[in-house]
Amino acid sequence: VIVRLALLKLRGVFIRVLIGTFIVVFMVVLCGCANLPEPYAPPPQRPNFEAPAAGAARVLEMADADAEIHFVRDIPGSLESNTWRWTGKRPTIRLLPGSNRGLTYVIDFAIAGTTLEQTGPVTLSFFVNDRLLDRERYAAAGRQRVEKPVPAEWLEPNETVLLAAEIDKLWIPPQADAKPLGFILVALGLEKK
Amino acid sequence: MKALAALAGAALTVASCYALGSVMAARLGVRLRRGEKFPLAFVLGAALLHLAVFAILTLKIAYKPVLWLLLAACLAVALRTGDWRWPAPDAAPPETALPRGFRYLFGVIAAAFTVLYFFNAWAPEISPDGASYHLGFIARYLRVRGFERIATNMYAALSEGVEMLYVPAFAIGRHSAAALVHFAFLIALAMLVFAYGKRIGKPLAGAAAALLVYLSPVVGIDGTTAYVDVATAAIVFSVFYGTQIWDEYRDNRILIAVGLLAGYCYAAKYTVFVMVLYAAGFVLWRTRQWRPAATVVGCSLIMAAPWAVKDWIYLHNPIAPFANQGFPNPYFYVLVEKNWTSDLRNYGLTNLWALPLEVTIRGLMTRGLLGPVFLAAPLALLALRSRDGRKLLVPFALLFATYFGNIGTRFLIPALPFLALAMALALEAAAPVLLVALIVFHAAASWPAVMLQYINIGTWKLQFIPFRAALRMIPEEQHLGIQWNYQWARMVENHVPPGKMVLTFTGLADSYTTRDVLVSYAGALNNDIADAVTMGWAKERQPARLWIYSFPAEKHRRLRVVQTGTASNYLEQWSIHELRFFHESSELPRRPEWRLRASPNPWGVQSAFDNSEATRWRSWDTLRPGMWIDVDFGRDESVDQVQVELSGDEWDARMRVETTGGDGRWVPLTGRAEERNVKFSGSIRRAATDEAHVRGVDYFLIKDDDWGAKDYSEFPESWGITLLEHAYGASLYKVNP
Repeated sequence: VIVRLALLKLRGVFIRVLIGTFIVVFMVVLCGCANLPEPYAPPPQRPNFEAPAAGAARVLEMADADAEIHFVRDIPGSLESNTWRWTGKRPTIRLLPGSNRGLTYVIDFAIAGTTLEQTGPVTLSFFVNDRLLDRERYAAAGRQRVEKPVPAEWLEPNETVLLAAEIDKLWIPPQADAKPLGFILVALGLEKK
Repeated sequence: MKALAALAGAALTVASCYALGSVMAARLGVRLRRGEKFPLAFVLGAALLHLAVFAILTLKIAYKPVLWLLLAACLAVALRTGDWRWPAPDAAPPETALPRGFRYLFGVIAAAFTVLYFFNAWAPEISPDGASYHLGFIARYLRVRGFERIATNMYAALSEGVEMLYVPAFAIGRHSAAALVHFAFLIALAMLVFAYGKRIGKPLAGAAAALLVYLSPVVGIDGTTAYVDVATAAIVFSVFYGTQIWDEYRDNRILIAVGLLAGYCYAAKYTVFVMVLYAAGFVLWRTRQWRPAATVVGCSLIMAAPWAVKDWIYLHNPIAPFANQGFPNPYFYVLVEKNWTSDLRNYGLTNLWALPLEVTIRGLMTRGLLGPVFLAAPLALLALRSRDGRKLLVPFALLFATYFGNIGTRFLIPALPFLALAMALALEAAAPVLLVALIVFHAAASWPAVMLQYINIGTWKLQFIPFRAALRMIPEEQHLGIQWNYQWARMVENHVPPGKMVLTFTGLADSYTTRDVLVSYAGALNNDIADAVTMGWAKERQPARLWIYSFPAEKHRRLRVVQTGTASNYLEQWSIHELRFFHESSELPRRPEWRLRASPNPWGVQSAFDNSEATRWRSWDTLRPGMWIDVDFGRDESVDQVQVELSGDEWDARMRVETTGGDGRWVPLTGRAEERNVKFSGSIRRAATDEAHVRGVDYFLIKDDDWGAKDYSEFPESWGITLLEHAYGASLYKVNP
């Protein structure tokens, strides 16, 4: 374009365009000036925050707002009656108790009469980090609460812990496409005693 | 009622644009043919109306009656002058008609897609960018009655020429009205392409090209949501069209319209500023005179300059959020811009040779597809044989050159009409039947149900005709409720008090909440708070090393630490958690008389002197030699040691300490350097939330798949936060003060 303009003796046009471009660029560059701030004084000093224990013992209620974040497996059901959820064979949750001492495994659950009619008496096994804590047999329907002390050596301080309860027989709902269900879980966790 | 309001808002806005454009075109003596009148007048009027809305927002008088009055005035003027009328058939030059058979075939195809598009545009709006920032800012402007400084979202710095038209539409009919206005641009674009074909005596090529554009899947979904790309394409093509009309009549008054439209290109989207160059260059080439070209440039400034001035005043950078290196400012960081623009240049594609297939058939990575027919785009080169073809390929080349700055498929839309016309011209000359077959194939391949057969289900596309949602037979809340980004917005609205800010790491549908949402990457304040919060769980960002420099005790007025290392990765930066000075093992208390400077990022220097381990001064630019952080003690102080706390994520940082000599020049201090690993004993999590609180953020919206999400949920006491709600894959936390 430059050569062509020159050949056509339009140097005047070219020079005007150049000058115009230079002015525009110069003005744009000027926009970048004077943006830097004055030096600052030191700000108010922030306090030091003590580090609390990494976690705390907790019994996870199925109705807790963050409950689902702690689910590991076999708690597929939605929250029922704002209180409980159906489980699969081995519902498992993950918690971070912080300390490993003086903790008690706590589970609050129910065996439904309907399921018991089909399965007969069931046995529940309770696990901490996949180690069997205890086992109970239930022949009658109703709500149950189990509390078992957890040996400190089963846990590492400030490490997550897996808590589980396994039912030996699943109930098969009559609906064709329904999944087998275990029991009714209300809460599961660790309590500091 | 909502459905009618949406239609009314869009119809009034579109009619006002048309009215204003008709009046302007008549005053400038632009002779338009019947098929050209609506689209060109509409786009020209849109440019003018955008300026009027800009003025209203600048004056902070964006009340509903003012907007109603504006629209009514536009309509009244056109009615009074009679300029709104279409040209009489005898007043227009003869046109070449499309053969009847093609007319019916193309008409049926166009009608089917128009039904698909119209109902999608009319349905509740929940497109990713439309429902978040395009309309989010409009809703915000309307709440505060005008513009305000938005330094926490870089998208607010982009020119919003098309969004200005969404202001009156949104005020009347909310979200869908804005999407319908964009749909009007889609119609106008198709009409323009068809009309241009007729103007050059190639109606078949024009009609085919119009359909190539109109049926393209990415054009379809973009043009039926509150995006701006299709509108931008219509404006771009209008500039080209205007230059051709001027070239035919050589009436220099037309150049005023061309210049205004070219400037409106910049106002609509930065990347199509090249149309100013095109228009001025074309006029200069055709006239060999600078005055007509200067008219184009001058008029373009009327449209473009307000946006540059707005950014200059609010953000100290006339082309924010870009060029922050050249226009240093406290609102957008250089490194974030570098990283962002780098992402836009690849969209995660490791091999750009995959682009042709990606943008035509796949569309998953680049978010949308043009359609398989555009694999035949090289045919457009055959159009170089004709003068009409060459005319089209010049603006195409200019626009296509800017595409590689952002390779999203929709960024091809402004260049698409030129490409489609060139393809159609080439095919019409070679084999007209093949051209018609191509259109039929394009129509079939672009229909949503057919597309599902060959594309990934996650590709951005229209899915079906939402009759019931458009007519609001399904309540709007129910239709939108299946979208999580809508639910997150409602969660924020329900729990966060007015005036409070929420930090989140990825976006949500901002336009459905009135709260101020800070997305972690979208502004400097957001970057700083997100950095502090992330530091709470990301060990590599926490203070990990202590660089100690010891030297003979001496009095110093000023000391500075200078970077001498060079980053091996452009994302590595220099970060200092705390910079402390010692004399005989006692730290010098930080007196108010001290004066702190840094380069780059002088605005963040206080973070290295605030005694918080959760904050750090960061260069926010690639680590390189010559960066410095400087302390003026205000008097001579005895110092024998400098300690610099560094993060674990800066591998190439090397430093020296300098003092001022007698002549005021900086002189390196001779001493001994050592480095120790350190571990902070306090709670960085708590310090991080405290920092967020100090900077005005008391709420975090954390998605379950965000980095660190489990840390917040498992250690709420440690963070000092309370969970307010967990739903739809996200948790909303409140910072405990």
